[in-house]
Amino acid sequence: MVKSSKKNNIPKYILSIFIITLHFMPIYILLTVSFKSPKDLSSRWVFPGYLYLKNFQTALGRSNFGQALINTAIIAVIAVVGIAFLGAITAYPLARNKSRFNKFIKGFIMGVMMVPPLSILVPLYSMLAKMNGISTYWGIIIVLITFQLPTSIYLYSNFISAIPVGLEEAASIDGCGPFKTFLYIIMPQLKPVTASVAIITGINCWNNYQFALYLLQSPKMRTVTLAISGFFSQDSSNVNGAAAAALLGISPVIVLFLLLQKYFIQGTIDSALK
Amino acid sequence: MKIKKVMRLIISTTAILGMLTGCSSNPEEGIKEGASATSETKSASAESTKEGAAPLTGVTIEFLYNLNGETTSDAILKACEDFTYETGIEVEAIMPGSNFSDTMKTRMAANQLPDIWTTHGWAVARYSEYLEPLNDQEFAASINPEIKDLVTGEDGNIYAAPLDMDLVGITYNGDLLTEAGVNVDELKTWEDFDAACKKVSDLGKTPIHIGGKDNFTIGNIFNDIAPTLYTNDNEANQKALLDGSFDWSQWDKAAGMLDAWNQKGYINPDCLTADYMTSIKAMAKGDVAFSFYGASGIAEVYAINANANIGFMPLPAKDNDSKQTLLVGEHFAAGVWKDSEHKKEAMQLLNYLMREDVCTELASVCAMPSGVSYVTSDTGKLAEYYAKYSEEGIQTVPYFDRAYLPSGMWNDLCTTGALILSGDSEGVQKATEQMESSYKEKMAQAN
Amino acid sequence: MKKKNFYINLFYIPAIILFIVFVAYPLIYGVRISFTNWNGYSQKMNYVGLKNYLRIFTDENVLIALRNTLIYGICSTLIQNVLGLAYAIFLNSKFKGRSIVRTIIYLPVMIAPLIMGYIMYFFVQYDGGAINDILHALHKAPVDLMSNGTVAVCIMTIINSIQFVGTAMIIYLAGLQNISVMYYEAAEIDGASKWQQFKNITLPLIVPALASSTVINLIGGLKLFDIIMALTSGGPGYSSHSLSTLITNQYFSAQNAGYASTIGLFTFALIMIISNLVSSYFDKKEVYM
Repeated sequence: MVKSSKKNNIPKYILSIFIITLHFMPIYILLTVSFKSPKDLSSRWVFPGYLYLKNFQTALGRSNFGQALINTAIIAVIAVVGIAFLGAITAYPLARNKSRFNKFIKGFIMGVMMVPPLSILVPLYSMLAKMNGISTYWGIIIVLITFQLPTSIYLYSNFISAIPVGLEEAASIDGCGPFKTFLYIIMPQLKPVTASVAIITGINCWNNYQFALYLLQSPKMRTVTLAISGFFSQDSSNVNGAAAAALLGISPVIVLFLLLQKYFIQGTIDSALK
Repeated sequence: MKIKKVMRLIISTTAILGMLTGCSSNPEEGIKEGASATSETKSASAESTKEGAAPLTGVTIEFLYNLNGETTSDAILKACEDFTYETGIEVEAIMPGSNFSDTMKTRMAANQLPDIWTTHGWAVARYSEYLEPLNDQEFAASINPEIKDLVTGEDGNIYAAPLDMDLVGITYNGDLLTEAGVNVDELKTWEDFDAACKKVSDLGKTPIHIGGKDNFTIGNIFNDIAPTLYTNDNEANQKALLDGSFDWSQWDKAAGMLDAWNQKGYINPDCLTADYMTSIKAMAKGDVAFSFYGASGIAEVYAINANANIGFMPLPAKDNDSKQTLLVGEHFAAGVWKDSEHKKEAMQLLNYLMREDVCTELASVCAMPSGVSYVTSDTGKLAEYYAKYSEEGIQTVPYFDRAYLPSGMWNDLCTTGALILSGDSEGVQKATEQMESSYKEKMAQAN
Repeated sequence: MKKKNFYINLFYIPAIILFIVFVAYPLIYGVRISFTNWNGYSQKMNYVGLKNYLRIFTDENVLIALRNTLIYGICSTLIQNVLGLAYAIFLNSKFKGRSIVRTIIYLPVMIAPLIMGYIMYFFVQYDGGAINDILHALHKAPVDLMSNGTVAVCIMTIINSIQFVGTAMIIYLAGLQNISVMYYEAAEIDGASKWQQFKNITLPLIVPALASSTVINLIGGLKLFDIIMALTSGGPGYSSHSLSTLITNQYFSAQNAGYASTIGLFTFALIMIISNLVSSYFDKKEVYM
């Protein structure tokens, strides 16, 4: 397979172009629509011959998009920190102490991944409402942490299982308590898997829709996905403005992805092949 | 080390992006620019520094509303701001968009409601359990009789304050009908309507446009057809629907009417997948003769094409012995949560909204007839129609599902309609069966 | 060591508390309302015993949603695995610019599914949609793709698959890179054809990748929600609902919260059973390797 690299590569390029076309099409159409004037009725395939930036102005102005971006960033960053820390600390005993009880605990945690969010929406809402957690950062963050935690625990426990126990035993002979052992011996070794956890759960937090929709009622708290869906789901006459909003909303993650590609890809591999 | 770098990069990138977009959004321009999607709450603290403003009381009340449209939304926000200026009570006005009723249901379930909210037709059937009766309020005595019944529960309590009311008929494009040789004033019965559709169809245009991607548009049609067939001038049926003894086998007439239009090709081919805006645009372009949207739909058409000749006609009658009718329903009506911590302040806001000047302003922005006798609103291009039908004494009847069906059956009107439009050969029969079984189930749920 | 092991168990208590408060308690509450005919918002509810559970088995709409859910789950998994593996093999061969191809394939994974749904409406729209524009250019009659439930289900399956095929591709790429070149060299000396090499070396050695890719895609497909809400909301009628979207429909629109809760529990059980069966099947397979 490797040897074929010296052969004629033209069929490969033809195939590549075909693949790129297929996967880039949605973004291409989003671009043409978002740069087009609402009065322009030409086909969606045609790129406008002019630059119509008013759509972006509409998108930015109308739903307080800047605020939405800041909200989403705050929520995603804090949630990811929580997910990573709690995930690591929970995974440690599960990886080190494989008793039957802990296996049951692990099974329970994995089960959480399969709960359809809507089936628990109302009790969740009532509870948060009683705690005054609706339309607050901490309310949505704690829910996101809970629902992303299984992924994080899963990744960390697989990773920790592969770390030899020798160092920890030495530390405990030296009189280190379990928490100190975890903090000074285990934590420093978790860097690579933390990148994976941060990226995978980070995308999910950034893109979350279902929880944000009900738990963030105040417009001041609106996230990017909510802001975009606001544009589309209304009987809005301005599809182009909505497209511009969508483009603005996905740009930060795409830019981030392009900058940090290596880690994104490593993250996906870690989550699957450890 | 790498991780730190990555995290720093992530944080700084998002922060920069946030700042950039934050800077470039000029709020004043933005709000004028935008249309209907989302609303902003304006900080009332800035207001308080203005001269003559009442000192802030420290109370903020939450007001949820569901009125779309840029101008309407802006007018509501402005009214809230002025209220803060006068009273020092801050208002957080929120428009949750198309998820309004889902949001409200979640909040009712949790018993955590907004202090004041718009009741969009459900003041009695859905919200009365949570609403404070308004009988003792000053405006209560002046509510127009057409709308008063709709916001009054069986217990005689008035649950919502109607600023305006929605009078609904069939929207038509006057130019297209003229071209097809149809005189709209002569469409007295559904038979006449059918003949008009035929003429439009012969021109190669679409007689009826439905944007059924969101299936509320399909449910609307049954709300228009059903009263004319079953409940207008038929007290036996009205009673039967309410006590559970209605004979649903006759529903095939309503379902069959929609099916017949579809079979004859009177409805646009993409009726199940087109969205609401497609309908509006088609109407504005003059490709479509009739649509079943209310006055707010007409306003959207005018927003696209100010020169369009759009009007609305009363609903045809089932035969020559019956009269034409218009549907009447709540549009901008609001009520106060009975368990609100700030009930007094919420009531103050409600009374402020009902004050003559404010109510006139808001009802005029909505371009709908006022809900109270002491206000006359400016209904713009539709004024001539309201005047004409009021002069002719066209009878008004309530929305079919709100008045006669148990809550929750709206979904059945929408889905059975979609089934029929999908061209299912047994669609009419299946629709009839579903309506009957769902009706029985909902009646059981209510008791 | 024993004592210490017991103490470190205390570390998972915060997480367990979160799960009990925010997942287990709401689920139990859901079980309670599944025995009622609650409308979803009133403070009143009546117990109806097992009625909702019996109704699931006779409800045609649940059957349709179940069928669709399985299509969304299984077909997405099939497409993503076959296409993902093909992409991985293709991109595992050396040529200049392959990293660009890889980036583009992976890019849509970043986009929220809801937004992807909105974007795809630009394609499938009857009036002015990108697909009908092509048909128009070819002088063909326009098609109303989403008006037929079955077609809509297939289209949304494909959209979901194409969007997330990047994940499967990356997993397979990693799997392929773990296979030593020596095996292929030995096979080539023995005169094995490319197909034989693929069947006898690549496939067996890639089972771990296959296992994770299958489980991830399966859960994703079975829980598919946002794309459906953006494109059809489950319509026309009930024809393109998945179990997840049917829960929303029954909860909010039809106001059968008790019944919606029952469907929710049923969905939870279904996803749990299917993914456990699949992963234990692969666990056994790996033992034999």
